[in-house]
Amino acid sequence: MIQQQYIDSGILEAYVTGTATDAEVRELMYMKAQYPEVNFALQQLELDMEHIAQHMAIAPPAGTWNKISDTIDELILRPEFNPGQFQPNTGDKGFKDHQTDNGPHFIEVEAESNHMKIHKNWKWVFAAVFILGKIFLGCAIYFYLENRQAQQQVQELKTELKQLKK
Amino acid sequence: MLLGYLFEATKSKPIAEQYLVDIFNGLQFTDIQAMTKPGINTFCQLQAIARKKLASLSDAVDECAGPAAESKALAEQSNKFTDLMEPEQRRVFCGIHYHGKSTGTLAAELNKTEEAIRRILKESFNVIRNQRNDTAAVYR
Repeated sequence: MIQQQYIDSGILEAYVTGTATDAEVRELMYMKAQYPEVNFALQQLELDMEHIAQHMAIAPPAGTWNKISDTIDELILRPEFNPGQFQPNTGDKGFKDHQTDNGPHFIEVEAESNHMKIHKNWKWVFAAVFILGKIFLGCAIYFYLENRQAQQQVQELKTELKQLKK
Repeated sequence: MLLGYLFEATKSKPIAEQYLVDIFNGLQFTDIQAMTKPGINTFCQLQAIARKKLASLSDAVDECAGPAAESKALAEQSNKFTDLMEPEQRRVFCGIHYHGKSTGTLAAELNKTEEAIRRILKESFNVIRNQRNDTAAVYR
């Protein structure tokens, strides 16, 4: 059978290890779509690769994910870009007939989401502002009480002076 | 899993981690879409990208020639799959899988034809498959 000969030829192994030529890859994609046996054999080889990787897997050091999560999040949140809508008309029909198409004529600048995304480093700034706010509040209360106490003492001294004058 | 593969190829955890970060940071939205399609093995796609990146870091194939050389670099982990292979199978498998060498390069290095290299590569996969089946039978 042609598909068994193809599987035995070693092209599948070359493909999963990245050593197949472009022509071989195209041929493999065709054979994979055409013959379920080839597709199954390829899946088994991919499982073999996963099996090796699972056995040799090591836990990433702490902090590795933080190094890449920002970029991944940005990619996922970024909307699919369709450059076609910004391409000018190749023909000049629209100019000749003084007509315009009904597509978008401006780029929407205002974001649709009500949420704002900021860098993680800002959490330390917010924490510092919060702590400084608490310190200033404590100072204000302390000096207010000190001031009130001093005024009371002044008042008492004044009263004593008046009594002495009498 | 990808970090394990990168560590096997680079023999250095900091370098492997740096490669891992570079690979994920270099992914485009279209790449993510392509590798998460149904029927596509995401890990193998990521591994293919990693292999391309590692191609510039091609170590001498002799590093995989014997268990002694491997055990020196991989003291923390032993590779039970390559240990089961014949020396020739191990050289071909490690040269292609971990060092990103082409069949042509290996054929020249080992003084064999590309067909022979592919046959040896297929044999090394048979060793892995047998080991996988044995493991599955034990757990069954």
